[in-house]
Amino acid sequence: MSSSIIITSQSVPKLVIAVLLVIFGFGLFIVGFDQGHLFSIVIGEEAFDALYLHELYHDMRHAAGFPCH
Amino acid sequence: MKAALFFVIVLVSGFSAGTIHGLANFVTTEPFLDEAIGIENQNLFASGEEKDTPVFWAEYNAYRVWQKGGQVLAGGILGLSIGSLFGVVFAYSRHVLPGQNHVKKSLVLAGLMWFTIFIIPFLKYPANPPTVGDPDTVVLRAILYLSFIALSGFGAVGFYRVYKKLQDRKKIFAFIGFAVYISIVFVLMPPNPDEITAPMELVNGFRVMSVTAVTVFWIANALILGLLWEKFQPHKPLVKKV
Repeated sequence: MSSSIIITSQSVPKLVIAVLLVIFGFGLFIVGFDQGHLFSIVIGEEAFDALYLHELYHDMRHAAGFPCH
Repeated sequence: MKAALFFVIVLVSGFSAGTIHGLANFVTTEPFLDEAIGIENQNLFASGEEKDTPVFWAEYNAYRVWQKGGQVLAGGILGLSIGSLFGVVFAYSRHVLPGQNHVKKSLVLAGLMWFTIFIIPFLKYPANPPTVGDPDTVVLRAILYLSFIALSGFGAVGFYRVYKKLQDRKKIFAFIGFAVYISIVFVLMPPNPDEITAPMELVNGFRVMSVTAVTVFWIANALILGLLWEKFQPHKPLVKKV
């Protein structure tokens, strides 16, 4: 005969909350506000002219109410 | 709480709702975007900055495909982002949200968040189609918009804490307090510095469709998260037999 016990608590997991808040901030930045900043880390100043992510997110950025250009 | 299950439910619901948002834009905002970009092109031809040639249109069509297709991916990523915030707030507030099941609770929360972090900022800084907006002011406009979202969102959290501390008869003062606070913020925040340079019929039609599509996102996110939460019950503690 086996007995069962509760191993975990009902509290909200802090680590998951932290990861979700990072996803929130990062996702909001790249879709809503990035003007070449992210790719500039890799390709430098050219990113601010090429605006790869900006073009990819262009229509959604307008549609969701973010300032685009 | 089952952490992994909670994490997956939040991400799946956010990404799914965001993808729905991206697809909804094809029938809501996209016709207005095409019209606005058409005006932009005519302005470029009129100013001599571009020439109305087959080469121009080949390049234009190539990047418009990129922009139109990209909005589905952008919707998914934005959905992950906003859905993550929604999931966090839901995890902490579901005990106090009205509703007999998690679908109703998540719909109530989505309504509150839609109003405080989308509608209120939108009333001050509404969406604009291309052709409206000076590139030199884009950073200022981004700061203003983000600041208003933060002021409205944190204000709502602050007045919720006041609401909890007040006795039943006085709880109405928390709502009145938030209304006064956000009205003051609304008046004090600087206006959008840019002039509207597109026909108002186009701009207003675009704004209505923008609100419609974002509303579709919030409803979809709430329904998917609520249904998944109701089915898998991630809040229940994990029981292991020993």
